[in-house]
Amino acid sequence: MNPLPTMDAAQERPGLRLDAVSRRLGERCLLDALSLSVGAGECLALLGPSGCGKTTTLRLLAGLDPVSSGRILLGGQDITDQPGGQRQVAMVFQSYALYPHLSVHGNLSLGLRIRGVPLREREQRIASVLELLQLSDLQQRRPAQLSGGQRQRVALARALLRQPRLVLLDEPMSNLDAQLREELRPELRRLLCGGEPPVIYVTHDQQEAMGMADRIALLRDGRLQQLGTARELYAKPANRFVAGFLGRPAINLLPPEGGRQLGLRPEHLRLVNEGGLPARLQRREWWGSQQLLWLETPRGELRMLLGAQIELGEGLQVGWNLDDELWFDAAGGERLDAVQADG
Amino acid sequence: MRALLLAWTLAPLVWQLYSSLVTPEALVDPGAVAPGAFWTLENYRQLLQADPPIWRYLLNSTIVGAGTTALTLTLAVPCAYALQRLRGGLRWLATLALLAAAIFPTVLLFLALLQLARALGFGNQLLALCLPYTGLSLPLAVLLLRAAFADLPPELEDAARLEGLNLMARLRHVLLPLLAPAMGSTAILVFLGSWNEYPIALTWISRPELLTLPPAIARIAGSSLFTVPYGAFAAATVLGSLPLLLLVLLFQRAIVSGLTQGAIKG
Repeated sequence: MNPLPTMDAAQERPGLRLDAVSRRLGERCLLDALSLSVGAGECLALLGPSGCGKTTTLRLLAGLDPVSSGRILLGGQDITDQPGGQRQVAMVFQSYALYPHLSVHGNLSLGLRIRGVPLREREQRIASVLELLQLSDLQQRRPAQLSGGQRQRVALARALLRQPRLVLLDEPMSNLDAQLREELRPELRRLLCGGEPPVIYVTHDQQEAMGMADRIALLRDGRLQQLGTARELYAKPANRFVAGFLGRPAINLLPPEGGRQLGLRPEHLRLVNEGGLPARLQRREWWGSQQLLWLETPRGELRMLLGAQIELGEGLQVGWNLDDELWFDAAGGERLDAVQADG
Repeated sequence: MRALLLAWTLAPLVWQLYSSLVTPEALVDPGAVAPGAFWTLENYRQLLQADPPIWRYLLNSTIVGAGTTALTLTLAVPCAYALQRLRGGLRWLATLALLAAAIFPTVLLFLALLQLARALGFGNQLLALCLPYTGLSLPLAVLLLRAAFADLPPELEDAARLEGLNLMARLRHVLLPLLAPAMGSTAILVFLGSWNEYPIALTWISRPELLTLPPAIARIAGSSLFTVPYGAFAAATVLGSLPLLLLVLLFQRAIVSGLTQGAIKG
């Protein structure tokens, strides 16, 4: 949770910067003063439950919706009031938004044609991107004749052809099945990340966010909850919401005591011989290499993740390391430092 | 059940066709006619040899219909697009106003329209008929096309916008091609309305060579004041239906082709 190094990097290689960007619709505030910066070539995931403002943010960055207040800077240049068509951003939509009446080739060439790219160059660029994405054999097909994964590749190809200064991805894999998603993740990273343009990746899937992104911005109700690497967010969540959102199975939150609340991750619990919390097994789920136990204890119900090979004896007792304790303010939900927690 | 529906729909057409092809005597009492005097093409000959011949009216109606359809679509497409983009109360109000206009009884208008035609010198101007016809068909056309615009996934236009397509390019390359089926069916409805319109055509046009089909058919006279020329009416109706039949057959495929399939994950 130390934003300083990335800020320095952003100034070195000017990427994207949001300065207190807000979006209001009538009384409702969809995005509340979001400030963050993404370095060139960095992939930032906007993560959060539906309605948290992540897609709103993406549309503001694309220039599809107007900003209510704040500034957006791309490569040091203020693009807040620039219309979407001039920003040179590429966006992959959740639905892919391929033009259904055009072939794959037509889908790729339309934008280039309108932007006045000469025929020769156009064909060269299309051919190379088709090859890169292994779509050369499909270029005469209509989107309706393609599988979900193929459609996604066409959408990607169209985005790459834009030669974008900023790449935006709106849940690009939510329409694909889990296996394909996992296969495509490294391919997406290879194609999109690490080049010049910053990449913003919107998803509600924490696994995907952690797998794709260099850093994660977790949003809730239009407010940034925490910005950092997947590791930081997991190990040092800024508040109870972040702690509960990241990590599967979800963190155990014990009943508040004295204005504080203890959070324990299921994977940090272990069985001890003595001095632990007495527990009774309620339910058990087998997750392949692991088993998930629902335990009843004097301090409430706990979920616990154990290796599948561990046998359960009589009279279970649960223990944990003090280092793994996460303490939260019972009222506000902010995480308390160990010192505060002790005092 | 299907056969019954088909019979219900087709029977009047078959009866028209039959009436147009038999002699008046056969129509009244088929049993009492000699076999040789049953079928005849006389009704068609009469229409084609009249002055002006029937194809003249067909041509007039086609010109007015095509003009009306072109004008209506030209105005309705931007209207529908704008209406679809409106938000909140204004959109609701505009839609309500359009709906009110669409269901307003036309007959109440034609006297006022006649006054307008006089004042503007539109009497006996064939193409001038396109103006009231367009006005009458616009509300329905806008509502139909608005619904079609609403059915298009909004990301398609967003994607086109991000690719640098301005409004005209988006309409021309993305939205209108996808709207073609809806535009086809709307065009047919508009054309049909203009093709069948009677009171305005009757009052605005008096010169025989400028008449559209409906008032022209009404003018077909029998051999005497007291005979109704059923056969000639029927023949004119048959001839008048042919262009429409052709039009629907041509457009049918476009209408049902379901072009938007695969735009988004189905």
